[in-house]
Amino acid sequence: MKMKALLFGLFLLTLAFGLTACSGGSENTSSDTKDEKGSNSSEKVEIRFSWWGDTGRNEVYNAIIDKFEEKHPNITVKREFGGWGDYWDKLATQIAGGNAPDVVSMHQSYVSDYARRGALLQLDDAVKNGEIDLSDFPESAVDAGKVDDKIVMIAKGITMPGWAYNTALFDELGVEYPEMDWTWDDFAAKLAELDAAIDSDDQFASPDNGGGQLEPSFRHYLRQLGKDTFTEDGKLGFEKEDLVSWWTMWDDFRKKGYIPDAETGAEYANVPLEQNMFVTGKVALTQIPANQLSLYQEQFDSGELRMVRMPVMPDGENSEYIGAAFLSITEKSKHPKEAAMFIDYFVNAKEAWELFKVNQGPPASTDGSEFVKQFLEPADQRAVSFIQETLPYAHPAPVPPQGVGEIEQAFADNYDAIAFGQVSVEEAAEAFMETAKSIVE
Amino acid sequence: MASLKKMWRNNWVGYLFLAPWLIGFFFLGIIPIGSSLYLSFTSYDMFTPAEWTGLTNYAEIFADKKWWNSVKVTLVYVFIGAPLQLTFALAVAVLLNRGIKGLRVYRAIYYVPSLFGGSVAVAILWRQIFGGDGLINQFLSVFGIKGTNWISSPDTAIFTLIILTVWQFGAPMVIFLAGLKQVPNDLYEAATIDGAGKIKQFFKITLPLISPIIFFNLVMQIINAFQAFTPAYIVSGGSGGPLDSTLFYTLYLYQKGFTQFQMGYASALAWILLIAIAFVTALIFLSSKKWVYYQE
Repeated sequence: MKMKALLFGLFLLTLAFGLTACSGGSENTSSDTKDEKGSNSSEKVEIRFSWWGDTGRNEVYNAIIDKFEEKHPNITVKREFGGWGDYWDKLATQIAGGNAPDVVSMHQSYVSDYARRGALLQLDDAVKNGEIDLSDFPESAVDAGKVDDKIVMIAKGITMPGWAYNTALFDELGVEYPEMDWTWDDFAAKLAELDAAIDSDDQFASPDNGGGQLEPSFRHYLRQLGKDTFTEDGKLGFEKEDLVSWWTMWDDFRKKGYIPDAETGAEYANVPLEQNMFVTGKVALTQIPANQLSLYQEQFDSGELRMVRMPVMPDGENSEYIGAAFLSITEKSKHPKEAAMFIDYFVNAKEAWELFKVNQGPPASTDGSEFVKQFLEPADQRAVSFIQETLPYAHPAPVPPQGVGEIEQAFADNYDAIAFGQVSVEEAAEAFMETAKSIVE
Repeated sequence: MASLKKMWRNNWVGYLFLAPWLIGFFFLGIIPIGSSLYLSFTSYDMFTPAEWTGLTNYAEIFADKKWWNSVKVTLVYVFIGAPLQLTFALAVAVLLNRGIKGLRVYRAIYYVPSLFGGSVAVAILWRQIFGGDGLINQFLSVFGIKGTNWISSPDTAIFTLIILTVWQFGAPMVIFLAGLKQVPNDLYEAATIDGAGKIKQFFKITLPLISPIIFFNLVMQIINAFQAFTPAYIVSGGSGGPLDSTLFYTLYLYQKGFTQFQMGYASALAWILLIAIAFVTALIFLSSKKWVYYQE
């Protein structure tokens, strides 16, 4: 009988621990400011701003916010930040709970989920009456922040994807550098050349970019065909055949040993930058957004990192579109005016540019991107030149529809199944199209 | 009503002392649980109000291939991982119970892995051990064997996670130790005089007498294993990969809810899990009459 009582006690104890462990910490950061209307310059106002990024970015952003607070002593900006993945989890929960920050960092791949569900404030009026001054923004940069023809986000930095390589490694292998403009055939030939020059089993010419995400690689490929991942009205913008030819190309690269096998690829799928295949010297080429060029350069003792365009098709269209990190104001913000002032400062003030430099790409403002050049390291200068060189090719790109997360997942899953040799390219493409259509139609 | 009022007047101090627990029980327990039951019958994306859809979520779940896969992965994890972990915990407890010096130190050391649980350090450690050029493969290469990449190969990934739970055997081990100490010594003495060997003593005396402890540990570990989330989340970086081979039930639930904004669907998943756990636990309780021995 004693044993039974002891056991019962243990049960209760464990359950109690289980409950407390599940309930976790929910820190309450709701802005309890007294004033509801804001604007009066003597009244104290607190706004909250959140972003994603590493510690380096946190320092830069904190410094920009400090400057802003110096200039506007009545406004306090509370800061919230986290890594990319955590950032989006947290934002979704905050918006659902009605306690999202006033100013949030936004991205093209997520914006429609938020904007089309009415979670973001439309900024057209604020732009028109000059609260947020975009007069110096190229039209393409303003357009990139529109969803359904309404401005919902403001670009803080502009970037362009491309392929990076290290001159030291190419010299060592005796392979010529790739050309700025190169076709998919050139790309395949370069992989073959690298593969022949590399005499190690676990070194490859390029990482496997066939799957993973729809953007940027597959999307660029589609746009060169005159298509796109999605149409303006949120339907699929391509056919099964397009996907089959894309995946066949990469499957072929894998079979020839140009790119890593599935196991090796999976091992490096989620590692931080410092440990990825390019930095550890396991691949000779890699596809990155230009604003990260200097982050990569820092990881190498020798050689110069340079960038070339995404490969093109000989008679195809230009595939470039503006990639950027953005700022948005949430619909439930109690201080939209102060939030707009903050965004305006962030994207237009010289002091902000000086600190921001090219943290998420050069400032969208034309003056800004010229102004920051004087402060830049060589790698960043090369990145800015690359962006300025490719920017003229850019043409509008519709934002993805709601439910794109699930489509991305199906894209990654089905490609992985090919890579692990479980299904044929044809079967995987068929399965993907079926899933994707059921989501968007 | 009057009597209720009177009861309140007599007992309000009691309720005041209970308040911290009551508040937690309602606001962190009953209300969220109730809302999730309601949400499981709706389509809810967290931004717009929930829309009643009846049993649609449940019907969709049973036609969802990815869900079936996550069920399979979870069952493998539960029914291989939990018994293995308990066997290991019991073995270590028996060794420690032989009156060795410094028992407390050993007990603490063996408990340490349980504290690491789902820390990022474990993810890195596991990569170092089971990765393509990790410890295991370096060891194998001494014998000329080229091992696969254990973590990122779909056939072996789940077993690296099972080894991870087995390694975290501290909690059941401590409970086993307490149980072993309660087994009366005179039984062993009597058995030795009658000529029973160590192995026979273990199966005829030790096991039956600690069967209530085994029962308790089994139930708790199976429930824990069903709810396992962090190991897969940490080691696969939240993807459940490679090829969904470590897509635990709870990880899939998390993906549905927090990356695809399908809170209604995710709530329905949670309720199915709850019912499944209750069912399995009930089965174990029913079976316990056959093999659990209380000294009454």
